Amino acid sequence: MADIALKATSVTKYFHDPVTMQVLKNIDLVVPKGEFVSIVGKSGCGKSTLLYVLSTMDTDYEGELEINGDKVTGQSLNKLAAVRNGSIGFVFQFHYLLPDFTCLKNVMIPALKLGKYAYKEVEERAYEKLKMFGIEEQALKKANKLSGGQQQRVAIARALINDPAIIMGDEPTGNLDSKNTGIVFDLFQKLSKEYGQTIITVTHDEDFARRSDRIVEMADGVITNHGK
Amino acid sequence: MRAQVNTEIALTYLSSRKKQTLVAAMGVMFGISMFIFMQSLMKGTNDYFEKNSFSSTPHIRLYSENKVADAHLLTGFLKDSSVKILTNPKQLIQTQGIINPYGIIQSILKNPQVVDVTPQVTATAIYTSGSVTLDGTVAGVNINEEDKMFDVQGNMVDGSLKDLNRVNNGIVIGKGIAEKLSLHVGDNITVSAGNGSATIMRVVGIFATTIKQIDETKSYANIIQAQNLLGKDRSYVTDIKINLKDYNNAPPVARELENITGYKAEDWVQANEQLKAAFKIRAVILNSVIGVILLVAGFGIYNILNMTIYEKIKEIAILKAIGFPGPSVTSIFLQQAIYIGIMGGVIGIIVGFLITYMTSRIYIGAGTLKYLPMSFYIPHYIEAVCFGILTTIAAGYFPARKASRVDPVNIIRG
Repeated sequence: MADIALKATSVTKYFHDPVTMQVLKNIDLVVPKGEFVSIVGKSGCGKSTLLYVLSTMDTDYEGELEINGDKVTGQSLNKLAAVRNGSIGFVFQFHYLLPDFTCLKNVMIPALKLGKYAYKEVEERAYEKLKMFGIEEQALKKANKLSGGQQQRVAIARALINDPAIIMGDEPTGNLDSKNTGIVFDLFQKLSKEYGQTIITVTHDEDFARRSDRIVEMADGVITNHGK
Repeated sequence: MRAQVNTEIALTYLSSRKKQTLVAAMGVMFGISMFIFMQSLMKGTNDYFEKNSFSSTPHIRLYSENKVADAHLLTGFLKDSSVKILTNPKQLIQTQGIINPYGIIQSILKNPQVVDVTPQVTATAIYTSGSVTLDGTVAGVNINEEDKMFDVQGNMVDGSLKDLNRVNNGIVIGKGIAEKLSLHVGDNITVSAGNGSATIMRVVGIFATTIKQIDETKSYANIIQAQNLLGKDRSYVTDIKINLKDYNNAPPVARELENITGYKAEDWVQANEQLKAAFKIRAVILNSVIGVILLVAGFGIYNILNMTIYEKIKEIAILKAIGFPGPSVTSIFLQQAIYIGIMGGVIGIIVGFLITYMTSRIYIGAGTLKYLPMSFYIPHYIEAVCFGILTTIAAGYFPARKASRVDPVNIIRG
């Protein structure tokens, strides 16, 4: 049990607008710690929806979800926010930084929220993360002054700042060129191999998926291939 | 540490849109400075009118009132068991004034509320100079006590008040009388009052108040002079004037004195009903103006925060995605409102003070009123800031709550 990062049991979800339809049908998914999983499937198959359920942001589902062995289904929204803050790092397709803040601040904010380290320490750690991605020179620039690739790297740095057990990506490389995609992939691989962090990404990029530890295929709201 | 992040984000949002922040703060500033200005004007004016009314009216005036005739005299002739009916009763004149006035004064002085008491003889009189006559009233007073209570000296335009004590048959007349009868200090004036004979008196001073009617009728004489004018003895007193520590206590103290002495005690509130009414009307007008200003400022903040939240909805979703719970988001936006309120409040205090100061230099020049009466009263400033910040919190709360309810999934997935 201890080596399971995430466990979903018969997760079912409906969309009600414009008409009620079932998007996720009895999904069972177990992700062990340190695994790098890619979820693939056609547009509209429900893979992003699944990811948002797994991320605890979407609470409107049936079934049960456990993260690090703790049941999160039915927890209060504030509790879930704390879980996301400490245990989950999220990377979106479009970088989604806070444009009014510097890159460094963007990376620091989740850690400041967590409050585990003092301000100075957080600053150092954030700088380290930026250095890992080779964008430390941009640290004091406003986030909206950077190129798309740079912004995505800042966003990933932000996802990593609290050393989360699970990193989730919703097409994290969807907006990047092949060079940047390579950098991001190598980084994810390094995180899972060397730091034992669990990585779950939804992707359209077949090449990216093929190189990950496991490919989960989805179609019409069900998992058609667990990849093992 | 956790709370500091919210503050830091709130401050960054405020400083990254300086213009909007400034406009919102200006709204609050305007509300608060107007609040201060209006309150200062109202208090200044009220204080002026109160002070003015106390320059001629004591806090309490004790006098012997005419009474309606009743049937008690008949009781001596008829038995108690009979029913006595008096048709068409008339007012009975009280010719004696207040009986044992100095004894009454002693007993009034025992009341801890009372600070000053002075007797007065009021005489209706006719002033004559040459062939011209003028109706008026002579107030026979102890001039030292009178001056202490009503600052008669402050109204003097010519001559000396103290001469009333030195000059035999001295009189201090109003400016209107002096003009109508062409009198100057040192001239003689013939005064005849009630049942007494005409007396030639010497003008030793001239005073002017803001009230023309008083200036044209009133004169001050020594109390003994007034008693002589009326042909009465030394114990004859028509009024006893009383000042209290706090004039707001006048009505209950007046009732008390009425019960003790048996004479009519009129407090300044009864004597100045229209003044009280004016205070109340002014308060309603000014408070509604202030209310509207603060309401408008509040709507300004509400609008600006609502717009900010609309613009920042994606960022709110991100904050929630990276682990900010609803209350943190509320705090971020409510803090923005509070900082706008504080900023507007501080500038508002300064601007409010400046406006108050500048308007207090506006020349009016009517009667004894030289400049616009403004008061500089600290509690007004504290009240203004409290109201301002309360308004901003109320205005900021609803947009902030809306922000905390943003569903990150909906926004991020588009």
